[in-house]
Amino acid sequence: MTIEMKNISKSFGNVIALRDVSVTLNSSEVLGLLGDNGAGKSTLIKILSGIHENDSGSIVFDGNEVSIEDPRKSQSLGVATVYQDLSLVELRNVSQNIFLGLEPRVARFFINRQKMDSDAKELLDKLQINIPNVRSQVENLSGGQRQSVAIARAIARGGDTILLDEPTAALGVEQTAQVHNLLRELKDAGKTVVVISHDIKEVLNIVDRVVVLRQGSVAGEGYSKDLDQGTIVDWITGVER
Amino acid sequence: MEYIKQRLKLIDSWTLIGLLATLLVAIIFFSTQSEYFFTTRNFLNISRAISIRGILAVSVTMLLISGSLDLSLAAVAAAAAMATASLMNSGYSDVQSFAGGIATGAILGKFRIPPIIATLGTLLTFRGLGYVFSGGDSIVIGAQTWAYLGRGSGIFNLPVSFIVFSLILVFFWAVLNYSVVGNYIYSIGSDPDPCRYVGINVDTIRFALFVFSATVAAFGGLILLSQGGTAQPRALQGAELDIIAAVLLGGVNLRGGKGSLVGTFLGMCIIGVINNGTILLNVPAYWQMVFRGTILIIAVTLDSFRKGGGYR
Repeated sequence: MTIEMKNISKSFGNVIALRDVSVTLNSSEVLGLLGDNGAGKSTLIKILSGIHENDSGSIVFDGNEVSIEDPRKSQSLGVATVYQDLSLVELRNVSQNIFLGLEPRVARFFINRQKMDSDAKELLDKLQINIPNVRSQVENLSGGQRQSVAIARAIARGGDTILLDEPTAALGVEQTAQVHNLLRELKDAGKTVVVISHDIKEVLNIVDRVVVLRQGSVAGEGYSKDLDQGTIVDWITGVER
Repeated sequence: MEYIKQRLKLIDSWTLIGLLATLLVAIIFFSTQSEYFFTTRNFLNISRAISIRGILAVSVTMLLISGSLDLSLAAVAAAAAMATASLMNSGYSDVQSFAGGIATGAILGKFRIPPIIATLGTLLTFRGLGYVFSGGDSIVIGAQTWAYLGRGSGIFNLPVSFIVFSLILVFFWAVLNYSVVGNYIYSIGSDPDPCRYVGINVDTIRFALFVFSATVAAFGGLILLSQGGTAQPRALQGAELDIIAAVLLGGVNLRGGKGSLVGTFLGMCIIGVINNGTILLNVPAYWQMVFRGTILIIAVTLDSFRKGGGYR
């Protein structure tokens, strides 16, 4: 599925977060969205996720213009998001978090817990995520495990497009490697992935293409194999060599 | 102290065991102090006494788990009872009046607004409405009206009001533990944002919960009406604190997301036993107030010790 965000603008009061931004997500590619704090990366992701509505511009899925007014609409279009703060329900367990809003049901109103737990375990095994007990409360998990649960939740939505906002920002080396493996698996599975990151080196290693935002506008874009860190730093800072 | 706090945070299931132990200690204590305490008749009295507040406690528990707190439920119960009694005395049938009382609860629930401070406002408004219905006087509907509901006995000689409380408790326990909505209530109480992000309509669920809880509270008010045959605008005044104390004592997290109706039931039993025991021991009424206040303080303190507990 190809997603085009055309001439997107968004303001919060007097603050202009995005100004005429156009970004295309090609099917089955991993796109890196880079930029300094306040560049508009998260706002762009949240518009695609249905958290914010764009003030102007259009969003086109496979040639059809769509309006994403809430998260449910975004999910129905096959978009799942892993937010920077992970947005997990701390006091619920792993399977309850993965299937939040998608619970397998019995007699329409009741949760089929056994199926939910076994499906959660199957999904975690498939993604090679090591969490011994799907009934562990999320608040008791490590940073890497929580990140993995958040990604698993996004995958459980069954969509083709996965947006990840700073997936490794709060992780150690080993946990970061774990998340990188997951991203590779998603790519191998043919998913379209958008990764927001501050870490240029990380992005160049794992993405196919890079888009850099600066002060709410696109400052540059290109295929990662054609780019070096210096060029990206120039786009991020606005300094021309 | 810090060590004890840490240990308490590590043990999540201590609440129910602790509650059972506390209940047992209270029963043993009062049994040794009063010959009238450990009798079937007295336990039936206790079960009758906790029924109405227990029904209200079910509503308070559901709201607290969802991260809301409503101080006006007792006032809703009283207003519903007053409305029902007014309807009956205006010539409406029993069924019409009963439905009118329940509808009053639902309508009052609709006008409530989640923040605690707003429910303080609705507490005054609904309590005031109770006075408006009667011009400040009690409304008599007759001692025999619906007497079976308020004073009758059912299976194992248990008071009907207690059986009704138990049925409401079991129904909502099943909803909380096994239904999709129950899962959402816990999740919203823990953190509403992730729920919004996956497309759960948090505001609708909260709104529905307020209407439901007021409807259940109104039902409690009608049982109270049938117990005495009189609707009083001052009914259940101050009961809010007893109920909240029982709910917190039962392990419901003041910050939302945690707790159970089993804990609430045990909390109600403890408060019921203490209230009954202090009366049998002829403890002066003022000291009983001191006891209740102390229980509330203990309940809130225990909540702050529990994992994820405390007020934010």
